Amino acid sequence: MNLVLIGVNHKSAPLEVRERLAIPAARLEEATLSLLSVPCVREGMILSTCNRVEFLTYQEPAQADLLEFIRNYFAVDTDALRPYIYEYRASEVVRHLFRVASSLDSLVIGEPQILGQVKGSYTVARSIGGVNNNLDPLMQRAFTVARKVRNQTSIGVSSVSIASVAVDLARKIFGSLQGKTILLMGAGKMGELAARSLMHQGAGKIYLCNRTDERAAELAEKFSSCPHAAGQSSATASPVAQAIPYASLHQVAATADIIVSSTGSEQPIFLRRDAELYMHRRKQRPMFFIDIAVPRDVDPEINGVEGVFVYNIDDLQAVAISNLSNRAKEALDAEAIVRAEVERYTRRMHSLDGVPSIVALQESLEEVRQNELRRMTSRLSHLTSEELHAVEQMTRSLVHKLQHAPIQAIKRAAQEGDRETLATIQSVFDLEHRAKDAEDAPITEKAKTSAPLPARAASESIESAFVPTPDATRPASSGTDSAPKSISEKEDCLP
Amino acid sequence: MTMYLIWLRVALVLYGVASLTVIPDVLTGHDRWRKFVHPVCVSAFYFHLVALVEMMRLAHHWVPASLHEVETSFALLLTITFLAIYWRYRAISFGMFVLPVIFLLLLLPAAHPDHAPVSNQWMHNGWILLHIALLLVAYTLLLFSLLASLLYLIQERRLKSKQIGGIFSHLPPLDTIDQIAFRTLVIGLPCMTLGLLAGSLIAQESVGAAYFLDPKVLLSIGMWVLYVLMLYVRRHTGLRGKRAVYLSSLVFLMALTVWVANQFSTVHRFAAP
Repeated sequence: MNLVLIGVNHKSAPLEVRERLAIPAARLEEATLSLLSVPCVREGMILSTCNRVEFLTYQEPAQADLLEFIRNYFAVDTDALRPYIYEYRASEVVRHLFRVASSLDSLVIGEPQILGQVKGSYTVARSIGGVNNNLDPLMQRAFTVARKVRNQTSIGVSSVSIASVAVDLARKIFGSLQGKTILLMGAGKMGELAARSLMHQGAGKIYLCNRTDERAAELAEKFSSCPHAAGQSSATASPVAQAIPYASLHQVAATADIIVSSTGSEQPIFLRRDAELYMHRRKQRPMFFIDIAVPRDVDPEINGVEGVFVYNIDDLQAVAISNLSNRAKEALDAEAIVRAEVERYTRRMHSLDGVPSIVALQESLEEVRQNELRRMTSRLSHLTSEELHAVEQMTRSLVHKLQHAPIQAIKRAAQEGDRETLATIQSVFDLEHRAKDAEDAPITEKAKTSAPLPARAASESIESAFVPTPDATRPASSGTDSAPKSISEKEDCLP
Repeated sequence: MTMYLIWLRVALVLYGVASLTVIPDVLTGHDRWRKFVHPVCVSAFYFHLVALVEMMRLAHHWVPASLHEVETSFALLLTITFLAIYWRYRAISFGMFVLPVIFLLLLLPAAHPDHAPVSNQWMHNGWILLHIALLLVAYTLLLFSLLASLLYLIQERRLKSKQIGGIFSHLPPLDTIDQIAFRTLVIGLPCMTLGLLAGSLIAQESVGAAYFLDPKVLLSIGMWVLYVLMLYVRRHTGLRGKRAVYLSSLVFLMALTVWVANQFSTVHRFAAP
């Protein structure tokens, strides 16, 4: 595995270093092309996010000077950067990539954006031919591992930001937020963010209130121009975001399911008697107060009113921290999954080394069989079509039986990483050139049914070559109805 | 051994498995457990249904009269309600409480056949069947309403005390639990009303006006009045939380008293051997 990855991330380098190497999305394609132009780099991909910049390459031989590339491309002094740059090779690359895609290497463990970012980089690299036979299976596997980690652990379940914790709590109270009414009190940034998150979850209406009515109207304008709000406003008669005068605050508050407050008021705005009055008017339907203001806008006594739930900034932060520590616990399970997957993938990579030799052997023997049949055509001309078919089957069966032992030996040697035995088998059967050709050609192309007969037969057999069969000597399936599968698809079936 | 015992035992084992696996499902919220619990419950339901049909067919009547028959029928209604709530609200938490109850209810009927089969002229009366079936449904829904009120209380306390993690962190949202508590009551009311009416009609025909002085009958009417009152209060004042639990508990206690009153009733003892 000539895999090499170098890069910097939030752990290895400060922001000043990361920003010097950051590549904007618009320049990713061009940067990847530059990476591919580095001598010895056969395949390459660049992952650039706010927390990391990484250069993943498949090299042949593994001698490319990626630091030189960084120096030239970014026009930076790599000697100064060297302490911040990490380099991984072979199975270390696999492990790192699996961890990154699974969000185990992220600043906030379990955050879901990283997988999308990796997929974005992969798509760009693939579109310009930077990802092929060697990196493609690796990336596909990384995506599978990331999904597995997300499905089998609770790493991404709990929220870790104030806004998302507020949304989670609202969901625990109201279930769906569809059609719920929000009152945003004050113009604090955090409050606005929380209210926006709630609106994104489908809340039906938002009232905005401020001591200065102009500011409330401004905010209402901002919310109305939001995509989520605009979509709803066209469907309903009343506006989604509505500024209300401060004087009518308590009247409107009674109709709101969720109140987000973040004013600079020195005194509480919502008192216990207000909440009791709201609840009476609401016929005890639950209310949720999100108090993000310091000093607090909501009298903590309100939490004592039945059906009313008050969370202040400390409460929300405590939930976020608790969720974060839960994620750290889940990360242990996730690491175990990644470890097992790295081992599995590495083993598979070794076994794939035998594929070109097997293809070459099958092609070679099939060619001999075809030549012999062609040579005997005139002598067999008196045979009926059934008899000719029987001869065809017999020769095919003979070839399969003859190639069984060497194929097993190749598989064994490949699985054990025994390159010497592989070379000996190639030498005995005179397969060196063919194996080299097979290595260069994409496996999926070989499997196409439009290929010439020897190659097609070989590709049919290659699919079964790594799948244990109860009777390895049986002739390869002659059915070509089903679409040929690429090696990456077959890998999922391998132990 | 009769076939229904085999099916009932299979159902019992499946309910046992579901009772155990629903615990990590509720506590961890992992999908992998749910994928297991749900099919096990559905399978248990099928075996349970087959066993009940076979049991009643062997008894040559469709009125659940003996203890085994009532227990098996009531357990089946609990399963149906649990599955219906799960399909409608994805609320698996009820399983943690209901599945062990179903398991316990089936223990006796699955252990051995009924030694004291009931048989009298009422066993083939359609009104009796309606009376018993509707009241069993009403009791089942009442039990679920009580359970939902308790879960509401637990969830409310957790949210109030800001203890979001730990056990019960995957309970359904408050609003969902409230809907379950209220809707089960609403659906239960016509069942209870019609069940009692059917019983009254039979009593009027067989015993006459004296039937209505029986303690069991009086308690039943009291239970119905309390039930309607509870529904009215919940609907018009939006009663939730601990007061809703108290009220539901009171009605449920009344229902249990009505059940126990069978022993003291002089006219409502048709099922006695």
